[in-house]
Amino acid sequence: MPQFDQTLDVKGAKCPMPLVKSRKAISELPVGKVLQVISTDRGSLADFQGWVKTAKNVELIAQETVQENGQELYVHYLRRTA
Amino acid sequence: MTFTQDQSTVIEISPRELYARLLSAQPLFILDVRNEDEFKRMPIEGHATLRTLNLPYFDFIEDEEAALARLPKDVEEFVVVCAKGGSSQYVAEVLNNHGYRAVSLTDGMIGWGNYYDVRDVVNTTWGRIVQIARPARGDLSFAVISDGQAALIDPLRHTNVYRELIEGAGAKLTIILDTHVHADHISGGPALSKETGAPYYIHPYDAIHPIDMLPAKIAYEPLRDGQIFQIGQVRITTIWYPGHTLGQVNFLAETPDGGRYLFTGDGIFLRSFGRPDLGGKGEAWTPILYRSMFEWLPRYLTDETVILPAHFSTLDEDAGNGIFAAPYKQVRAQNDSLKPCTLEEFTSFVLSHLPVFPPEYVEIKRVNIGLVEPCEGKASELELGKNICALAG
Repeated sequence: MPQFDQTLDVKGAKCPMPLVKSRKAISELPVGKVLQVISTDRGSLADFQGWVKTAKNVELIAQETVQENGQELYVHYLRRTA
Repeated sequence: MTFTQDQSTVIEISPRELYARLLSAQPLFILDVRNEDEFKRMPIEGHATLRTLNLPYFDFIEDEEAALARLPKDVEEFVVVCAKGGSSQYVAEVLNNHGYRAVSLTDGMIGWGNYYDVRDVVNTTWGRIVQIARPARGDLSFAVISDGQAALIDPLRHTNVYRELIEGAGAKLTIILDTHVHADHISGGPALSKETGAPYYIHPYDAIHPIDMLPAKIAYEPLRDGQIFQIGQVRITTIWYPGHTLGQVNFLAETPDGGRYLFTGDGIFLRSFGRPDLGGKGEAWTPILYRSMFEWLPRYLTDETVILPAHFSTLDEDAGNGIFAAPYKQVRAQNDSLKPCTLEEFTSFVLSHLPVFPPEYVEIKRVNIGLVEPCEGKASELELGKNICALAG
């Protein structure tokens, strides 16, 4: 698991909310800091990859799929780059 | 702008309305806001009047003004589409707030992919032939209903559609027929058989997985060449047509008014034909397909025989009313692959024009003969995308 500075829990939120909230949280984070996003929306895996390609100041450091109480969690680590 | 999914005021369009508009060939603009890979894998297709733009929803989140600037200015209304219907609402709302007219497709591509269109091919004194289509995948299936009896041909995965149809017609499901064991979609046949007790028929050659060489674990009745079924006043004859699979058959339905309806499965399509390589034996099966297509088929076809295949490749094959069927005379005129040729010409054409072999097709055949049993999520994933069963001449 990569190091991170803040966590955003968007479990249960459906597309597009995980990304809407992540965008907002990243904008409020100091430059260089890392945000951990915990989602239950499987589509977020591909969508975060697509998003960071054109995003101005976001880098996707890692993505993980983990099990928690029989539920799959999709965890993203995003760094604010500028 | 604030956005909450529950309070969205965006107008929605149902898959049924979308399909009516796709068929109508009126100008239509689809703004597909899924990521590029998902869009490429399964876009919504229509007639030449359909225009589509892929602009992912996260581009609107990242830089709304820049995304809006990429929209064409000459569009009266945007039909916004995403995977499940949430992001399309979000984007449609952004568009509405900026003065564009935009509607959102209900349940997104999940809703579209699982939408079934049911309409009569014939409805007359002796009974009905009903086409049940899954337009997103280009899959077609049929019901023959006469005197309170019903036969299903190539039923698709969502069995409730068929049960409601037959119940609504006041009929009883008598037999379930598959023209072959399908590779591109999960058959509804075995499940319908379990639910209703009606026997499920496939040709025994298709009850062996061609790659695994393992026998079926589902309950089925073996079809044989020449086998006849009587459904009320309609006589259905089984005609072996190996090539796409070794156990592929055609079903010829003959009606009291002299009508002839040939359910070709993945034999011949309206503008193409079923590829012979999905069993992994393209070179060996091509000459077998040639014999079925050029030597056997013409013997039981008349110009008036209506061809009803299990797939369409494009909406342009529609006869103008959402029915993907045509008399053989017309099919022959518009399907170049039916033009006479030698075995050598046919073989060299087929083997040099094979489309990609989707890897999930091997697994789908396993599912269809009961070698694996997927959960709903997995089943739905296996069926993503449009069928790639056809080869055009």
